[in-house]
Amino acid sequence: MIRKIAIVMLIAAAGFSLEVAGSSPPDATQLPRARDGKPNLSGIWQVLSPANFDLEDHSAQAGVPAGQGVVVDGDIPYQDWALKQKEKNYANRRTLDPESKCYLLGVPRITYAGHPFQVFQGSGADKITILYEYAHASRFIYMNGTDHPAGHIDWWMGDSRGHWQGETLVVDDTDFNDRTWFDRAGDFHSDQLHVVEHYTLTDPDHIDYSATIEDPKVFTKPWSIDLVLYRRKEKNVQILDYECPSFDIEKYYP
Amino acid sequence: MKMKAERLRNFKSIVLATTLALLISLSPTPVLSQNPDSVAGKGVPEQSASGKNALPKTHAAAPWPAHLPDGQPDMQGVWITAEYGMSCLKDPSRGVGCFTDHDGPNGDNGQLPRKFASRIIDTTDGEIPYQPWAKARQQYLLVNYFAPSMPEFLDPQQLCLPLGPVRQFTWHDVQIIQYDGYVIFAHEGGHVYQIIPLDGHPHVGPKIKLWMGDSRGHWEDNTLVIDVTNNNSKGRLSRAGDFASDKVHNVVRIKFIDAHHARYEAVFDDPSVYTKPWTFGFDLKRGIMEQTSGTDGSGGDGNYEQWEEACYEGMNNDVDRSLTTAATVSAGPAQK
Repeated sequence: MIRKIAIVMLIAAAGFSLEVAGSSPPDATQLPRARDGKPNLSGIWQVLSPANFDLEDHSAQAGVPAGQGVVVDGDIPYQDWALKQKEKNYANRRTLDPESKCYLLGVPRITYAGHPFQVFQGSGADKITILYEYAHASRFIYMNGTDHPAGHIDWWMGDSRGHWQGETLVVDDTDFNDRTWFDRAGDFHSDQLHVVEHYTLTDPDHIDYSATIEDPKVFTKPWSIDLVLYRRKEKNVQILDYECPSFDIEKYYP
Repeated sequence: MKMKAERLRNFKSIVLATTLALLISLSPTPVLSQNPDSVAGKGVPEQSASGKNALPKTHAAAPWPAHLPDGQPDMQGVWITAEYGMSCLKDPSRGVGCFTDHDGPNGDNGQLPRKFASRIIDTTDGEIPYQPWAKARQQYLLVNYFAPSMPEFLDPQQLCLPLGPVRQFTWHDVQIIQYDGYVIFAHEGGHVYQIIPLDGHPHVGPKIKLWMGDSRGHWEDNTLVIDVTNNNSKGRLSRAGDFASDKVHNVVRIKFIDAHHARYEAVFDDPSVYTKPWTFGFDLKRGIMEQTSGTDGSGGDGNYEQWEEACYEGMNNDVDRSLTTAATVSAGPAQK
């Protein structure tokens, strides 16, 4: 009798487990994970937002799509002198924008520049590598607990040190020069720029990307942007190149 | 009494069996092993690569090479050509155009014995087997290198442009970084990179031409074999005007000999420029900065980092100012 009960219960349990395994669809929101269990950001990503044209709300112009701003809670909090400088930048943006010379775009602009980039993440590796199609920019996000080097160093792309906070990759960026803009609308910073990026995989194909920007020389307080990175899913998609320094002189080579 | 004890034991067995069955049915798909990957500094031979602290010298060395979780041999770290120089393709110790003096023909003071065997390893004379029109084109570019009066006479490296998948190895060091299914060459010079997927998917279509070509790789034991197509070839091959066309097909083999030495050979196959395929070869060695940072057990903390080299941003990118004011040279042989 006891044995019969045992057999019945085991069969019931097996049947239940088969039902669970066989009938429910795969969980579409289950995130890809690296071997260490962290969300795996590896892959090719690109923004759809027109943030590179102007981080703030703006209407359309020739060649510029209208855009809802990606600045969180209002406009960029410039100091008075800096707002005047931004307006000068805006008036002369066609020549002053470093993107017009194909210079490196800095951080966070390289993320929303409109060209795809590829994230390489491996558990156990000392860094996450991000390779950008635009002007072959590259960043190494050191994940080995090391500090920024003794500064200040004037780099275009800054120095990046990352760590995981739960399911979010947090990247601390310093050591910037003052030569880059945040967008084509003249939004700028000094060499005291400090950026903290957050990459959160919300589902397998979307990253919520936010960045907090601090620069006591230029802004009255820290401010943030927030936008979405979309996974490029076309078959055999890869990043290509965009060597804009060569465009004027390409006809001379080879 | 005995019956009651036996019933109790049976009951416990049923509960245990049922619980186990339920747990098995409800547990999530097992994730892959959570053990840290094999990487330098984590039980891997002290002579292996990349930013972790080296093992103490007294530790018995594990066999080389270590292997990464996806099966690749771990060759990561900083490598540099043992013979640096891109002025003369066959002999890196010579000046532009292979003159003994870096000032070119006017400074040439006679032939000195070569220090190195030719880097062009499979032609009878150690020279590139150009077709006659191509040789004339190369000589035309070489002559005008010393007093460039037109933009085409400026070597692409002088303008901080990417140098192509092979030539880029002859300028500054390269960091090899490996992730699942990929090898990355992160070149120090101008932060140029090459992404080499290992899954064998097709090259991009023939209408796409890329400054660093399009690479597909696979490992044969400790040799990385890379097939490179779609090369726009605008980076040229040397300061002396050596070149390939945008139809060139390269097969690159990098044989890692031990933790500190490798051999690089690239076949150039381009029937529109050369009379036959030819091979460019040189030795690679572990970068000195990495040796001093301890990955070979010699000391240091193993935390070498490749820092930004914003070559293009740093130059005076007004091409006209790089040109001489010499009279324009009459038009030479055009590129086919």
